[in-house]
Amino acid sequence: MTPRSTSRRSAQAHRQAALLRLTTGIVSAHTEDDIYHAMVDGLHDEALGYSFLGAFILEAATGDRVLRASAGWPDVPENWRVHKGEGISERAVEDGTLHYTPDVTRESRYVASRVRGSEVDIPLRIDGETIGVLVVESDDRDAFNDQDFEILSAAADQSAIAIARVRLLEAERRRADEHKALLDTLADLSSELELSRVLQAVIDRAVTQLGVTGGEVAIYDEEMEELVVVASRSVGKDSTGTRLKLDEGAMGAVARTLEPLIIPSYHEWMGRSEKYSDVTVHSVMAAPLLIGRRLVGVIATVHSDPKRVFIEEDLRLLNMFAPQAAIAIENARLYTAAQRQRQYFESLVQNNPVAIVSLGLGHEIVSCNPAFERLFGYSSEEVVGRQLDDLISTADTRSEAEAYTREALDHAVHVIGRRRRKDGAFVDVEILGVPVVVDGEQLGLMGLYHDITELLEARREAEAANSAKSQFLANMSHELRTPLNAIIGYSEMLQEEVEDLGQTELVPDLGKIRTAGRHLLALINDVLDLSKIEAGKMELFLEEFEVQVMVDEVATTVRPLIDKNSNHLEVHCPPDVGEMRGDLTKVRQMLLNLLSNASKFTSAGRINLEVARERNGGDESLVFRVRDTGIGMTPEQQQRVFEAFSQAEASTARKFGGTGLGLAISKRFCEMMGGGIELESEPGKGSTFTIRLPTTAIAAAEPQT
Amino acid sequence: MARILLVEDNEMNRDMLSRRLERKGYEVELAVDGRQGVDKAKTLAYDLVLMDMSLPEIDGWEATRELRSDPATKSLPIIALTAHAMSGDREKALEAGCDDYDTKPIELNRLLGKMEALLQRAGGAGAVGGGA
Repeated sequence: MTPRSTSRRSAQAHRQAALLRLTTGIVSAHTEDDIYHAMVDGLHDEALGYSFLGAFILEAATGDRVLRASAGWPDVPENWRVHKGEGISERAVEDGTLHYTPDVTRESRYVASRVRGSEVDIPLRIDGETIGVLVVESDDRDAFNDQDFEILSAAADQSAIAIARVRLLEAERRRADEHKALLDTLADLSSELELSRVLQAVIDRAVTQLGVTGGEVAIYDEEMEELVVVASRSVGKDSTGTRLKLDEGAMGAVARTLEPLIIPSYHEWMGRSEKYSDVTVHSVMAAPLLIGRRLVGVIATVHSDPKRVFIEEDLRLLNMFAPQAAIAIENARLYTAAQRQRQYFESLVQNNPVAIVSLGLGHEIVSCNPAFERLFGYSSEEVVGRQLDDLISTADTRSEAEAYTREALDHAVHVIGRRRRKDGAFVDVEILGVPVVVDGEQLGLMGLYHDITELLEARREAEAANSAKSQFLANMSHELRTPLNAIIGYSEMLQEEVEDLGQTELVPDLGKIRTAGRHLLALINDVLDLSKIEAGKMELFLEEFEVQVMVDEVATTVRPLIDKNSNHLEVHCPPDVGEMRGDLTKVRQMLLNLLSNASKFTSAGRINLEVARERNGGDESLVFRVRDTGIGMTPEQQQRVFEAFSQAEASTARKFGGTGLGLAISKRFCEMMGGGIELESEPGKGSTFTIRLPTTAIAAAEPQT
Repeated sequence: MARILLVEDNEMNRDMLSRRLERKGYEVELAVDGRQGVDKAKTLAYDLVLMDMSLPEIDGWEATRELRSDPATKSLPIIALTAHAMSGDREKALEAGCDDYDTKPIELNRLLGKMEALLQRAGGAGAVGGGA
């Protein structure tokens, strides 16, 4: 083995080692710069004459070569730039092949440097395109041979592949980042302004990635059934704000059919919109933006270059952007709707005349509305965070108020109470406490306070006025009755006297005075009774009495009235009906009223009074049932018949007489004695009134006195 | 002839009722207030008293109680005349010791029935069967 061959073999081993170092470095590289450094550091070997190494990358914009990594050049400037057309390595860039320069000093393109020997320039190529150049220099002239060229070419190829891979990965990562950023924007979309910003970003990216001239995104306005362009890019004008009807233009057509559409030649297309007649659009592609099957908008892209026409593959790409845009629109819509609803409820609370306070789970005040501030005299700032019951309840109402608050965490509480204002004054309030539960989660409670101070005052005044009215009526009735007694008494006396004197022609007129007087008296008495009942001054005089005796007495009293209308009265009262405890006068008055009504509204018919003792559980009652075969009542008349002054019709009173107060009084009497009165009736068939009274009325059944 | 004391403050009522009773054959003496009524009744000159309840000086209930508390007039028949049947006057009158009551305005036949019943129970003579 000659020294030469030894040296040659040794050189080959060095070259293999260098390539191995480079490969190892590249494998563990994450970035392009890692690879450049792996290249130059891996190959750097003085024994091979690979003394000065540089990895230059071609700058696309200028064509300059920029140094990205070097070895053996300790003082080389960072990012050393060799301008296009300069330097020896330019040749490798120009033709994409390896160039060897045995003596650099003899080259015209030689840029003076420390190196004065030989140089190899190997292009870095990806997919047939030169992206940079690897420069290897030696201080010795003619230091490189074919084996060096072979190794360096292999090193450059490997590096280029690695660079391509890293670039691809970076592009992928950037795209993923962009995508994520876009999705993030979608997620926190919070205004319509932001919506157009997001949609603008979507169309910008679609235009760039699809390599088209321009594009638009329109939102579908459901109410108007129109599309509104909200984002626009390079369609020949700023088309934002343009409104398109369904079927108008490419986007309108898509909005109608909900199917994507490609129009190869827009200006020859029948469906084109006049609104785009002023722009150079050659072919158009549009796709619907859908949420489920619901249209929310349309996305469209255009080519203005007549040589380019959209194909199915473009549609597939466009459809990658459609969901982003659709979700953005839908989110914005939902957000706006939620916002509107929130504002609606907010204003409902803010402008509500009812004081509203909301409490947390610990009964601390979270917020209150202006009505609350007005009612209790505290400002919102003063109360937030404090315990409600500390502020507005008094020592007297404290435990009650706290109980309500606890209760209202569980279910609605509705009470009337008295609370305290900041200035110490009391306020009567109607209180409603309700739990606040959202999605099954208990958040606290809400208290509503309605000021009823004035209401209570008004009620007190009304009650006082009503009482004064009743008193007035009572006094008035009494004062009216005295002269009336004289009128009735003298007319009766005169009637007797003229009869005695045989002047019978005066008798009917005197009779009319007497009848009118009696009617007026009955009215006055009834009004007095009613006003006493309403004033709570009607008293019950309870006594034990024989029911049969009372019934016989009533029958005798009412007999003349029964006979007057040719009616027939049947009384069924069992002999063993016994005694009852009640207000005899009132029971008698009620029966007289029912029987005289029956005889008034029946002619030549039957009137039946039935008395019975009934037992219902432990309660015993006496039932008085008055049935007639008279004119009866419609359901409407039956409803009003127990109201004061409500004879079924005004004309009835004139025709049949009576005050129209009898039934109203009877009903109240029954209730005072703990009983009731019922009515069944049918027009033309007759009426049945049933009075049911406990056999032992108790004074507690009286109304308030 | 039964002698009746009518205690009534209202002049017209007094005049009217006394004239009607006299026409029916009664002898009627008048008192214009509760005090006078009690004083006259205590002279024992009457078979029956018709007593209005709302009277000046002392009212009818008080007057009745006073007469009932005096052994001499303890069983003197007294009929209360009340203004209005429903006002509880009846019960109050019976409680005060009246034997019966009737309401104003007077229905003469009904009142006469009540008077005769009481007079007969007292063993005295009514307007019709009185006298000898």
